[in-house]
This record gives sequence, structure tokens and C-alpha cells, in this order.
Amino acid sequence: MDTLAEPRQTDTPPPGSSSRRRAAEAAGTVAVFAFAMLFPVLIQNQADIDSAANALSYALLALGLNIVVGFAGLLDLGYAAFFAIGAYAYGILSSWQLTPPWSASWQPLASLGLVARVMQGNAAVVHFTFSFWLMLPLSGLIAAGFGVLFGAPTLRLKGDYLAIVTLGFGEIVPIVVRNWSSLTNGAAGLNGVAAPMLFGHSFGIDATPYYYVGVGLTVLLIFVSIRLRDSRIGRAWMAIREDEVAAHAMGIDRTRTKLLAFAVGAGFAGMTGTYYVAKLQTATPDMFNFNVSVMILVMVVLGGLGSVWGVVVGAMLLQLLQSWFLPDLTGWIHALGRAVGSAGLQSVQLAQASELIFGIILVTMMLYRRDGLIPARRRTPALSLAQQHAEVRRGGITGLGALGAAAAVPGGPLLEIHGITKRFGGLVALKSVDLALTEGDILAVIGPNGSGKSTLFNVITGLSKPDDGGIVFAGRDITGLAAHLVTRAGVARTFQNIRLFPELTVLENVLVGEHCRLRTGPLRAVLRTPGTRREEREAREWAAEVLGIFGNRLLPRLSQPVRELSYANRRRVEIARAIASRPRLLLLDEPTAGMNPAETLELAEQIGSLNRLGLSILLIEHKLDVVTQLAGKVVVLDHGEKIAEGSPREVRQNEQVLRAYLGRSTQVA
Amino acid sequence: MTPSALFLQQVINGLSLGAMYSLLALGFTLVYGILELINFSHFNVFMVGSFIAMWVLQFFGLSGQQVILTGWPLLGVLGAALLITMLATGLLGVGIERFSLRPLRNVPGPVAMITTIGISYILFNVILLTVGAETKNFPNPLPMVKWHVGGAVVELREVLIWAISLVLMLLLQFFVQRSRLGKAMRATAQDPEAARMMGVEVDRVVITAFFLGSALAGAGGMFFGLYYNFTSFLIGYTAGLRAFTAAVLGGIGSVPGAMVGGVMIGLIESLSGQYIAVRWSDVIIFSILVLILVFRPAGLFGRLAPTKS
Ligand SMILES: Nc1ncnc2c1ncn2[C@@H]1O[C@H](COP(=O)(O)OP(=O)(O)OP(=O)(O)O)[C@@H](O)[C@H]1O
Ligand SMILES: [Mg+2]
Repeated sequence: MDTLAEPRQTDTPPPGSSSRRRAAEAAGTVAVFAFAMLFPVLIQNQADIDSAANALSYALLALGLNIVVGFAGLLDLGYAAFFAIGAYAYGILSSWQLTPPWSASWQPLASLGLVARVMQGNAAVVHFTFSFWLMLPLSGLIAAGFGVLFGAPTLRLKGDYLAIVTLGFGEIVPIVVRNWSSLTNGAAGLNGVAAPMLFGHSFGIDATPYYYVGVGLTVLLIFVSIRLRDSRIGRAWMAIREDEVAAHAMGIDRTRTKLLAFAVGAGFAGMTGTYYVAKLQTATPDMFNFNVSVMILVMVVLGGLGSVWGVVVGAMLLQLLQSWFLPDLTGWIHALGRAVGSAGLQSVQLAQASELIFGIILVTMMLYRRDGLIPARRRTPALSLAQQHAEVRRGGITGLGALGAAAAVPGGPLLEIHGITKRFGGLVALKSVDLALTEGDILAVIGPNGSGKSTLFNVITGLSKPDDGGIVFAGRDITGLAAHLVTRAGVARTFQNIRLFPELTVLENVLVGEHCRLRTGPLRAVLRTPGTRREEREAREWAAEVLGIFGNRLLPRLSQPVRELSYANRRRVEIARAIASRPRLLLLDEPTAGMNPAETLELAEQIGSLNRLGLSILLIEHKLDVVTQLAGKVVVLDHGEKIAEGSPREVRQNEQVLRAYLGRSTQVA
Repeated sequence: MTPSALFLQQVINGLSLGAMYSLLALGFTLVYGILELINFSHFNVFMVGSFIAMWVLQFFGLSGQQVILTGWPLLGVLGAALLITMLATGLLGVGIERFSLRPLRNVPGPVAMITTIGISYILFNVILLTVGAETKNFPNPLPMVKWHVGGAVVELREVLIWAISLVLMLLLQFFVQRSRLGKAMRATAQDPEAARMMGVEVDRVVITAFFLGSALAGAGGMFFGLYYNFTSFLIGYTAGLRAFTAAVLGGIGSVPGAMVGGVMIGLIESLSGQYIAVRWSDVIIFSILVLILVFRPAGLFGRLAPTKS
């Protein structure tokens, strides 16, 4: 409402609003934390503290699954397997399950306190005494290793197959645990798992210390989740979730990124397994079956896929439901049954209905509230009037000195394509096409529908492999190179049918474009080292600079999800995302499609000024006036063959081109 | 038994299991072919089917294995039970599609699949809470007729299961290949967009797929009861996973693939149980699933789904 009163020149949100929100968030976090710390003092009831500790272990699992399903969009139905692996890792290494005969080679481990020499009868055996505190990170690493192992074969599969394969692994692990008795004691389960020790005191069976360890772990994993989510890594996960092919084409290594999500998620589950088993001091294969995986999924869905606080709340709510609400409700119904003398009411056992309730929650949430109780993304406020009417600059960009083209030598060959052939079954989409682009030029590719233009782009950018021929970019053979490596080499593209990451904001989309130029890995993302901070700040500055190409079209909308943008603005974001990767060569697939004449003109000028900054451009375009205005040279494709090449004027007068566009029948007549 | 008779016996057992898995796999394949959706609710539609068949048979006055029928009464009772079961599970499938999946038809990501997991859980627990956890004796009116073949034994019920399954599958294949609706199904599976533009009513096609798939699962559930003489709320999960593996092995989306895949999984289960160990059967079957998906995702008969780019 304040917009008319104070027209704003800037495009930043009202000063203070975000810092105020931050302060509120911080205050909320502190309040929750204080409550969590005081809880055992307030409650003073071992059983309730114990169920709170259980709730925390489910929250930990939910946080881990949220990385895989919520962030990276990989539906993992066998998640409990990693929980089991972490649990058994600690269980075996801290109990009497394995007692190999003692020999001198155990001495180094014994001096580290990891094993002890114990007399059984009159034989010396090894007793494993790995510390809980050591096993916590170690189980995380072991489970992460298994995450990579199980994840690797599934990565090439489409999403839904992934679900079923993980389900399969989730079945195999408990079966192996059950049948490999010598290692795991089979169905009877491990016994006598050591309780953690701290400063010489054993935790024993008191619930309170476990509870505090649970709080500590929850704080840690929430922190790690948030740090990862807000980093280069988190953006890559979400890009893959939103559109895997586009993410790949924007320079994201799909295999590594997905495996990392699997590993981190599995690592969380492994740590939780160790915690859980230390608390129970026993482990059986039944603790890790499909139902556990589904329950964790219900928690994540209830809280909100991708929402860090949401999944914690979801886990807490379900645990409350199971351990307090349902038993209490059962008690009340029984009391009511006694009061009215109904035997039916007195025999109701609601606790058994918890799985039914899980099912109902899953279906209801999916149908009516897919974002969960606490959606990962808040609704962005609508733009103010002033922002909507912000001045639009046209063309005339000067600020993009840092393009990859900076190092270019204008006039040299940049892209050379020799005899590229691409077949789809019987259809020959490209037939021995040659093409050369000089550094600093704009080359237009035109041709009737289905003539192979987009296929040519896919082949150049590595999204599809050519059957024959070679592609040399900046003196380097890039034929058959994976798409993310082509992008890193300096080729960026847009798609004919716009492939943005719809749930990500304008800024995040552009930042994903920068992915291959940034270095931050998972560890640095969590630690947020000074180098990472600087890198992130510079990345945002560069993103704003790139978005500035389009004047104030996009800058006021930085934090809006792109699905809310107009068609023309989505096209602009896609171009900005491509430029953000600092390419030397930009591939634009019908950039003005669907734009009105004014918007087309504006964009054509902007493309022209990008080119004058030194960026070479390969352009697919149907609007011939745009081609004439921008391109120095035109290549015409028809049925996958290059039928003409030359200046726009020459091509326009070419007989064959006219025939291709008008259709053969006309020529015959 | 001689080794060869033992082998033959396991082949016979495997064929009976395989018939059930095939019927169940067809439901996965029909729905996946059209919607690219792994329908987890199918697991427990099968389980519910076996209970419906049990109730119908009990309604006809049968309980346990005491009442033996022959001739027309036998055919009448079995035929009626089969029809009612298939109709009921078919409608259950259609209801699931109509009320929980259709609203999510165009929602991207794993949303629809998560919903089917929820439905599956609901079916599972409704049966658990109303019928109870103990296994139920499944009425079987078939006379104990046996034949000895090469040292192995074939029972009447096995022959019956093979025969009816074969007839049902041939009818389905005929329907998909010849009928208008069947052709529309195939067209939609090939290219939903093009089919829609050619005037195919996608909703009708999807409903048909759910009806047929679920009806076949109902038949499978009834055969399960007749074969093992029991049923339980638990049977959907294992059978469903094996049948899904069968569908993938045959090539998901392919009707003949599901039939052949089902029989192969049945044989693998019975032979590995005999020659390796029953407790490793599931590990073997899941390993097959993973290996196929990794090395030959199109399965034996399947077409590779067109890559969307
Ligand atoms: N993944 C694919 N599988 C099978 N055929 C394909 C595939 N991609 C493209 N084609 C076919 O290759 C031919 C060339 O398609 P392409 O998209 O390259 O044409 P285009 O020149 O970009 O056309 P338009 O102007 O309509 O965008 C078309 O006949 C198309 O149907
Ligand atoms: Mg095209």
C-alpha cells in the first residue's frame, strides 16, 4: 500500500524487511532450542523423555531423507537400509558379537582403545570396544559409502525406477542381516551393545543423556542441511530435481551431484543408526524394514518436501501421534466405553491404526497440500506498482567485461563442425553437416520445421551423441563430450521450449548457470569458509550484472520463482542463465519465439550488444528480419542437410532455399 | 524323487507361481505403459482380491477344504467367484484412479507414486484392522485330483490356474490388439500427446487400464488362495514386488513381456528355492531386478521409453 506514496527507484525489497524476518527467525530458533534444552527438566518423566529421544532419531532420519527426496528429488524407498548399516556398524564394533582369537597384530588397535584383550575360558580373544563418539562419524562415512554403492547403478534410471531399485536394496539389506548370522546374530539380533561413555561415565539406561545427544545431533544436521541447501551444492540438487536435462546442460555433473545426495542422506541415516542402537543397546533386522522407510517418507511429506524445519516438525508430530496421542485417545475411548457400558468401545486399540493414519496422511497431503505443513518456499510478495513500471533499458550493455569471450581472438575459428550425422532409428535428423563459426560472429541457422536445427544444438552441446562426424571448439575436440563438460569448455545454450527450474527463483536459476565456474564443494559449503563466502558474493554480483542485460525487466523479480514469470521474462531468464556460465559461444534456440514485435525488437538489440561485447552466437531463428538484422552469415538446413550458406541477402535469393520453404509441390507446378 | 523328477516338480510349482505373477504383472505394465506410473496400490488390490474371493466362496457355503464340489456346481461356484472378484477389484482400481490419481495426472515428480504408496498402506491396514492379522483358511472346493508326470505330481488346481490364466491373458491380448479401446490404449502408450490430438479420450483409456489391471490382480488373488489354501493381509507386498520384477524383466509396458516375465520369475523362485535356499530367493529376484534395470532397462520385450528432451 505504500507504493503510491513513495515510488521507489531501486529494485531491492523495502529495507529492513528481510533483516527483520531474519531476526524473527533467529528468535524462533533460540526459543525452540531453549525449550528443547529444558524439556527433560520440565517433564521429569523417563518414558516421555525416551519417546522424545526416539522422536529426535526420526527427525534425524527425516532430515537425511529430505536431502535425497526433498532437495534432489530422488525417491528413495529403501532408506532404512542405511539406518540399519549404521546401526549394525556400531552394534558389531561395540558388543561381543565378534570375538576373533587374539594375536599380536591387534596390539596397535588395542593401544588406541578400539579393542581389548579378554580371556574367554583359557583362550585370549578380541573384544571390540569402539567408542560411540568415534563411531558416530565413522558410521556416517560407512553408510555414505553404501549410499554411493547402491546409488551408482540406479543413477541412469528415470526417477520412478530409482524408487523401485532402492526399494529392492531396502529389502536385500535386512535379508542379508537376517541370514548372515555369524556377523549379525541373525533374526535374534545383536545384544549387549555398549552404552556411550562420556568423561568416564556410562550413559546406562537413563534416557536424559541420550535425549541431549539427540538434540545435539538434530541441531548439527539441521545446520548442515541448511548450509548445503543454500550453497552451490543445494542449488545443483534442486536443479536436478526440477529438470535433469537442463541441469546437465547448464554444467552440472549429474552423476556426482546425485551420488552426493545419496551419500549425504545415507550418512545422516548411518549416524542415526548408531545413535539409535546405542540408545536401545540391541539391534534386530525387523527394526529396518520397508515400513520404517515409508514412515520416514510420511514424515518428510507431512512436514514439506525440501523444508528443513518442516521435516523435523513432521517427524515430531508423527512420533507424538504414535507415542502420546493415540494411546491417550485409546484411554479416553475406553473410559467412555466403560461409562456407557459398550464393550466395543472398550476394545478399540488406536495404536494399531497408526499405519492406516500414515497412509491417509500421505494421500491427503499429496492431494491437498503437496508443499507440506511448512512449505520449503514461502510465497513471494507481489511486485509493487513502482517495480512493475520500472524503466526498461534497451540494448547498449557495457558492463559484461568478464565473459569468457574476454580472452578471445576475434577472427579466429571458434566452432568447426565436420560431417555431423545423427539418426533416430530410420530417420536421419542430420546428414553430414559442416559448419564453421568465426570468433565474434553471429551465425544463424534457419530451416523449415523438423529440419534438424535443434538436433544440431543438442549434438554440439553434448545432450545427444552424433553417429558420425566431429566437433572442434576453440581448438579442442568436443565430440561426444558430456554436456556439463561442454558447458565448462565455454558453450552455453537456451532451449526452444524454455527449460528453466520452475520452483527456483530468478536469482537461483542464474546462479545454477554459474555452477561450473564455482568451486565450492560440500565440505566448504557446510563450513562456509571465507573463500566460499567471497565466491558466493561474487556469484551474486555477477548474476545481478547478467540480469542487468534486460534492464529492469528481471532485477525486481530476483526472488520470484520463475514459474510465476511471464513468457517473455522466462525467455530472458533462460538467456541470462546461459550467459552466467561465462561462455565464449552462446547457442540460442528461437529466442524470440512467442514474443510480440516490440519484445522481439528489444531482445534482438540486446543480443546484438552481447555480440559487440565479444560473445560469439549461434542462433536458430524463424523471424527472418531478426536474422537479417543480427547475423553475418546464415546456414540453411532442410531435412537434415545443409542446402545453402551465405549472407542473409544471398540466402534469401537462393533457389533451393525458396523451394525448401515453399515446399516441393509448388515447384513442380 | 529322482533329480529329474524334482526338477520337473519345481518347474510345475514355478509355472503356478508364474501364472499369478503374470496376472499381477499385467496390471503394472498396463498402467505404466500409459501413465509411466509405478502403481504401488496394485500390491494390495491383489491382496484385497484374495479376501473378496474368500468371502464370495464362503457366501456360497464353502469353508476350508471340507466341502468338495464337482461338475456344474464346481464350475458355477468358481466362475461366479472369479467374476465377482474381478469385477470388485476392477472397480476398486477404477475408484483409486478416479479419486486419488486423476487429480495428480499432470503433477510432475514422484507425487502420484507417493500417493499410490499411501493407498496401498490404507488398503493394507483396513484389511489388517477389520479382518485381523492371523492367516485365513481359504475355501477350496476342488476335488483332490492328481496326475503323475515323469515322477512329479500335477494337481487339478494347478492345471485350472494355468488354464484360466492363459485364457484371461489371451483375452487381454486380443482386446489390446483388436478392440477400438485397446488400440486407443496402445496409441496412448506410444505417444499420449499425439493420441490426444487424434481424438483418443485419455480418461477412458486410463480407466480401462486400471479396470483390466485390477481385475486381473483380483483373479491372481483368488488363485493365490486356491493354490496355498490360505490368505493373509501380508501377501500383497512380496507377490507385488516379484510381479513388478516380472513386468520389468519382460519389458514394462509390454503385455506379452509381462506374461513371459511372470512365468520366468515364478520359475526362478521355485528353482532357486530348491537348489539354493528359500531364504535367498528374494535377494536373487531383487538382484535380477537391479541387473535388468541397469543393463537392459527395456527388458526382454519392451520398447525403450522415448527420452523426453
Ligand atoms: N529424441 C528424438 N527422437 C526421435 N526423433 C527425434 C528426436 N529429436 C528430434 N527428432 C526428429 O528429428 C527431426 C529434426 O528435429 P529438430 O527438432 O532438430 O527440428 P527443428 O529443425 O529444430 O524443427 P523446429 O523448427 O520445429 O524446432 C524431426 O523429424 C524430429 O521428429
Ligand atoms: Mg527446433
